[in-house]
Amino acid sequence: MEAIERRSENRLLEFIKGIWRDYSVVVVFVAIIGICGAFAPRFLRPENLLNILRNTSIVGSIALGMTFVIIAGGIDLSSGPVLATSGAVLIFLQRMVNADGTPVVPLPIAILACCAVAISFGFLNGIVITKAKLPPFIVTLAVGILARSITMYVCRGATIMGNNIPPFTRIGSGSLLGIPIPFLVVIVMAIIFHIVLTRTKYGTYVFAVGGNENAARYSGIKVDRIRIVTYMMVGLCAGVAATMEMSRMAAVAAATSGAQYEFEAITAVIVGGTSLAGGRGRLIGTIVGFIILGIVNNMMIMLNISPYLSGAVKGAVILFAVLMQRRER
Amino acid sequence: MLSMQGIRKSFFVVEVLHEVDFTVDKGEIMGLCGENGAGKSTLMKILAGIHAQDSGDIVFKDTVIRRNATPLEMQRVGISMIHQELNFLDELTVAQNIFLCREPRYPTGLINFGRMRDDAAAILEKLGEKIDPKRKMRDLKIAQKQMVEIAKAISFNVELLVMDEPTSMLTGKETKILFDLIANLSAQGIAVVYISHRLKEIIDVCHKVTVLKDGSLVAVKNVADVTAHDLAALMVGRDVQETKASDFAGDPDAVALEVRDVSDDLLKGVGFKVRRGEILGFSGLVGAGRTELMEVIFGIRKPRTGRVLIDGRPITIRSAMDAIRADLGFVTEDRKETGLVLCRDISENSNYVFWQKTKGFFKRKKTSAANAERMIDRLAIRCSSPAQNVSNLSGGNQQKVALAKWLLSGAKVLVLDEPTRGVDVGARQEIYLIIRELAAEGVAIVIVSSDLPEILTICERVIIMHEGRVTGTLAASELSEAKVMYYATDV
Repeated sequence: MEAIERRSENRLLEFIKGIWRDYSVVVVFVAIIGICGAFAPRFLRPENLLNILRNTSIVGSIALGMTFVIIAGGIDLSSGPVLATSGAVLIFLQRMVNADGTPVVPLPIAILACCAVAISFGFLNGIVITKAKLPPFIVTLAVGILARSITMYVCRGATIMGNNIPPFTRIGSGSLLGIPIPFLVVIVMAIIFHIVLTRTKYGTYVFAVGGNENAARYSGIKVDRIRIVTYMMVGLCAGVAATMEMSRMAAVAAATSGAQYEFEAITAVIVGGTSLAGGRGRLIGTIVGFIILGIVNNMMIMLNISPYLSGAVKGAVILFAVLMQRRER
Repeated sequence: MLSMQGIRKSFFVVEVLHEVDFTVDKGEIMGLCGENGAGKSTLMKILAGIHAQDSGDIVFKDTVIRRNATPLEMQRVGISMIHQELNFLDELTVAQNIFLCREPRYPTGLINFGRMRDDAAAILEKLGEKIDPKRKMRDLKIAQKQMVEIAKAISFNVELLVMDEPTSMLTGKETKILFDLIANLSAQGIAVVYISHRLKEIIDVCHKVTVLKDGSLVAVKNVADVTAHDLAALMVGRDVQETKASDFAGDPDAVALEVRDVSDDLLKGVGFKVRRGEILGFSGLVGAGRTELMEVIFGIRKPRTGRVLIDGRPITIRSAMDAIRADLGFVTEDRKETGLVLCRDISENSNYVFWQKTKGFFKRKKTSAANAERMIDRLAIRCSSPAQNVSNLSGGNQQKVALAKWLLSGAKVLVLDEPTRGVDVGARQEIYLIIRELAAEGVAIVIVSSDLPEILTICERVIIMHEGRVTGTLAASELSEAKVMYYATDV
């Protein structure tokens, strides 16, 4: 009798544990919103919430691609600098105008060029990592340094102003049906990426490559190709992020555009429950992850906490998140 | 000397040991057998201090061992365990591995490497093993690593040594050396617990044998009173049919796969043919080049010379994908390393190759799920659902998933490298049955196995290799262990 009770109790416990394991990030998310609302009622105002979504979308975009890279067992430390380089390309093309004030290069072409540059950097990362068999950490670190330096050189280390006119500025600052356009862009990307990850063969292979590269290779999966494409995806994401960032600022700052974004994106992915060891992860987690980071930033302002402490809070959030997700041994 | 009484252990809510008694006398070699999941490893891990029993007592040399003793405490009282999967620090030397955490020190606290090497050399010599203690672990062969593990155990002044599947990676010759060593230890008064799936080895090497089934003690017997057949029956609780293969009776001209003149650093002009419906075995010692030959055929290794013909037509295989397109399948030797993606589920693992053979960007959930269900049915994979992670399955069921991947791909030539390594008796019979069924359907089967009884049980023809060469071919009717060993050692 006692044994039966204990068993049912255990089953309940197992159930709760299961929920926690799969949805811990959502639970934490709801709790955070509740706590924030309690501390700073202003936090819950729609305009503030929408502002958070707008602010997180740029890092969020990178985080989506980063999720693919990390699930495949890699990492990309070059996304921030690549954002700056591709952003510089966009600004340079956008600020060129004819005598009558019309742009020399149509805006869509400029954006495509920006994304193409970012994807090329992703391809470079991927090809070196897979063909030279070097650790992604080192390759992307080097490519990141390279990209930043190129940006500094072409901008002569300064901030280059673009043409502060719509429709260019609307991409980053505008809203559609009250929702910030950058967030809409990220959601559309997230839906597409989610389908790719869960419904397509490619997505499954990404998991397989991250879970066990050898087994994937013995199953005939083109491991290198899968890897390279993940880096090109995060490149594309950096290009999209660059477009939104440039549009908001209407300028590229050679030294600071996109600085630290790669770490913010990686943080969002980790907080979202994707394993750095590869083979495990979900995009919904990443989305919640970057919004949590946005909320942290926002609350620092709301509560008038020194911005110098934001790193301390984010560090604590990462530690807390990974502690919660620690797998039972 | 050792007495474990009424040992119980549960993991979460499942009791895996039900009041098991286990005793070993001084100098005795006690076999321990049972199917996977019977509780052998758990019982021994309790003895080694890795798990704590829920209830029951362990008495060693008239002293009661406290319930939560650590592995180090156990080693200090004289109980050491050699695990099935060897755990070494590959970048350290042999001596460093033997004395890990117990390094001899100078008074300053710095490690006395000279003494450590000398002590290690002395122990290795006692084992009759010529391994330089200064060598790095990663440069050793598996058999040598095994010896180092034994040396490490002995360095604790061991009085009871537990060996979990010590021969699973060893060749026949190395196994013999190990058996001599065990007998030697026993003569010195050291008790040995010998866990193995290879019942013949238990009969050969042990004095007594304890059989577990589903966490309960089934029998303790003198090996003189039992046969391997009896043990197998005790383990599974029913009579196990050991059938012997007969000669290939199909069309001898229906050659499905022909390999000609494969050479590289290890292989020296190897060639063979396998016919549709034939079960061809590859025997030989570890290092004879059998796995390497299969890797060449499958496009994983690049040979210097060599040709592969499928149905008489020469084809070029540069990658695994080329092999898959030619309807080859390869169930690899090490399912954890090269066979399965452990952190993914049964459904995905069994569909990987299938997906690549079918067109389209999306994976079509219904087809994939139906595929997985069909394989679970056909291969009797015991699981909660197709969405269960492969890492949670037992060895036998994992092996079946690795096999399912190639069945779904529609392979017409299937290479199985050590198809039943780490698989328990029951599942082993099931796998043999599946292999025979496949052959009956016309699939050409190539089995690489170091397990001679396995070769005798299932193969219709056997090719024996030695150091990269084919040294002999035997039909089932001419087959005997002695003949295979004769060719395998190339004396």
